[in-house]
Amino acid sequence: MEQKTDTRRALAAAREIVCTYRGPRLRIMEVCGTHTHEIFRLGVRALLPETIELISGPGCPVCVTPVSFIDEACYLARECGVTLCTFGDLVRVPGSSGSLADARSRGARVQVVYTPLDAVTYATDHPEEDVVFLSVGFETTTPASALAMKRASAQSLKNFSLLTANKTMDAAYLAMHESCDAYLYPGHVCAITGARVPRALTARGISGVVAGFTASELLTALAVIVKSAGHAPFFANCYPRVVTEDGSPAAQALLHTYFTPVDAEWRGLGVLPQSGLAVAPAYAQFDARVRYRIPPQEGRSNPACRCGDILRGACTPADCPLYGKTCTPEHPVGACMVSREGTCAAWYQYRGAAPASFS
Amino acid sequence: MDQERITLAHGAGGQKTAELIERLFARHFQNPDLTADDAAVLSLGGTKIAMTTDGFIVSPWRFPGGNIGELSICGTVNDLTCMGARPRYLTCAFQIEEGFPLRDLDAIAASMAETARACGVTIVAGDTKVAGRGQVDGCFITTTGIGELLPNIRTGGALARPGDDVLVTGDIGRHGSAILLARDSYGIEAEVTSDCAPLWPMMEHVFAALPQGDALHTLRDATRGGVGTVLYEIARESGVGIELRAEAIPCAPAVQGLTGLLGLNPLYLACEGRLVLFCAPAVTDAVLAALHETREGAGATRIGTVSAAPAGRVSLITELGTRTLLPPPTGELLPRIC
Repeated sequence: MEQKTDTRRALAAAREIVCTYRGPRLRIMEVCGTHTHEIFRLGVRALLPETIELISGPGCPVCVTPVSFIDEACYLARECGVTLCTFGDLVRVPGSSGSLADARSRGARVQVVYTPLDAVTYATDHPEEDVVFLSVGFETTTPASALAMKRASAQSLKNFSLLTANKTMDAAYLAMHESCDAYLYPGHVCAITGARVPRALTARGISGVVAGFTASELLTALAVIVKSAGHAPFFANCYPRVVTEDGSPAAQALLHTYFTPVDAEWRGLGVLPQSGLAVAPAYAQFDARVRYRIPPQEGRSNPACRCGDILRGACTPADCPLYGKTCTPEHPVGACMVSREGTCAAWYQYRGAAPASFS
Repeated sequence: MDQERITLAHGAGGQKTAELIERLFARHFQNPDLTADDAAVLSLGGTKIAMTTDGFIVSPWRFPGGNIGELSICGTVNDLTCMGARPRYLTCAFQIEEGFPLRDLDAIAASMAETARACGVTIVAGDTKVAGRGQVDGCFITTTGIGELLPNIRTGGALARPGDDVLVTGDIGRHGSAILLARDSYGIEAEVTSDCAPLWPMMEHVFAALPQGDALHTLRDATRGGVGTVLYEIARESGVGIELRAEAIPCAPAVQGLTGLLGLNPLYLACEGRLVLFCAPAVTDAVLAALHETREGAGATRIGTVSAAPAGRVSLITELGTRTLLPPPTGELLPRIC
């Protein structure tokens, strides 16, 4: 009970600081899809003075996955007859010629799993099928893909591999920092990497705070940004109950063992050097690109779709000619409309065609 | 329509289900008695009755807190209850898969009999069909029920009015959570039992306690699409807006934990023993007091109010005091929840 009162008091104090901000224009980018969703769910924007702008960054792994990745997956299902195991969201992301759902309706084997280990189990139970897990995600989900390789390796599994599009956040922080004055760093990613990764960015003039996900944690993080803005580059860990300075050494070790950094394409941001993770050479038997020699895929997206600009914070969904018309959660054209955490999907869910008072 | 096929979304109780009913079934079946409510209210030789039917295909057939047999009685009894009708007679039809164990069928029938007894209905006719292995999954049940309309009670989805209070009779999302956990797709373990219960005894007590029955405007049981879907239906049918207080919505910690982990909204998880109730504010306290005297209504609480505008929308006052839209139902729910 006492704790609840403390939380309420902290929330009220933080709210006061944020609401009464009268300084110069402040652009804050949340880099995490869960933050985007919670900010909408809590109606945080309605509290902010006009001078504070919240920009939704590239924090949803489905949204930043390039079209060519979906094309590679479709190629594997179509030309190599493999069974694809994938997180549910990816099934609906449009590729150059249709989504995996379309491929499935034409006979491709697409299996939805909840963790990469489920894909290993599926491969074990179906030795007659060649199973490829579509491995996407940031530092939070990639360790589970590493665990999948560890288990497959221990079982000497011959019919299991990964098509990787895993990414790391630090390259994105560097690539995007001119779009904003401060970051709300992603709490879960920082729980893995440790607070020292974003803290080190202050030396390069990049400011931000690590934020949690409750109303009180989000408002406190915003209040710290408001208080610190306009001075030297700053960093604060406002999610200390989960994020430590060094993060999770066990998860980091898994990443280093089973993955190796590579240049990677981010939808909307282009190729960012050393921002991706591919299967480490020592485990090349689990690399679907090596095993199936997938030819380069073109990756054509709908030219009118502005997901790329939206991911950079250069425009809002309302500026896109497709948003809410041909592109809806039922029929997504761009990736940002697919995942619940995508910016367009969050806008659509919480704004719909509602009057401006719903923000 | 030539190319279209039935998808799971058509059975999820949301937008797609409504479209299917409107564009296909209602087009063929149109008549003055066809209803969008839980049950049709009919006149037979001067006696007013309510009549409804419901099919049950839940998987797995047994789950923490209930089974398909109990569910098949509760579903139909609760639909009659929502129209202010005392459930009297039920029929049941079984579609059973070849190979289904007789002792399981016995357990299902025993639960149906026990549940029917608890709310004073009698099962008066039935039908048994068996399909080859793989042509039905286990055992499907359809029940049809007739109830006797109480005098002075007139409820309906189109009767909610601005100023009404919105009540829910207990914590939400239990049935959907229990089924999810029983399927063991996620490797999550938690103690959640289904809220599956017949609600006639609870509402009989409320109807008796209320001096003016017409102060109860709308009753609906929150099944497949959960409380959120029911609220959107009523907002549309009554042409009103509904405003909820997020902090007032009762939800068990285990359900909150599960939905948080899976990114689901408890407002869209199925219930099988909860009613959403709209009443004039003058009787709210009396309704809540009567509900609290019953076992099934012990957790009843007020969750919001009805406004004139924006019509057809459900909004939430968040814990920050801001107002947001409750994201409308998408129909991407779990198949075979009831």
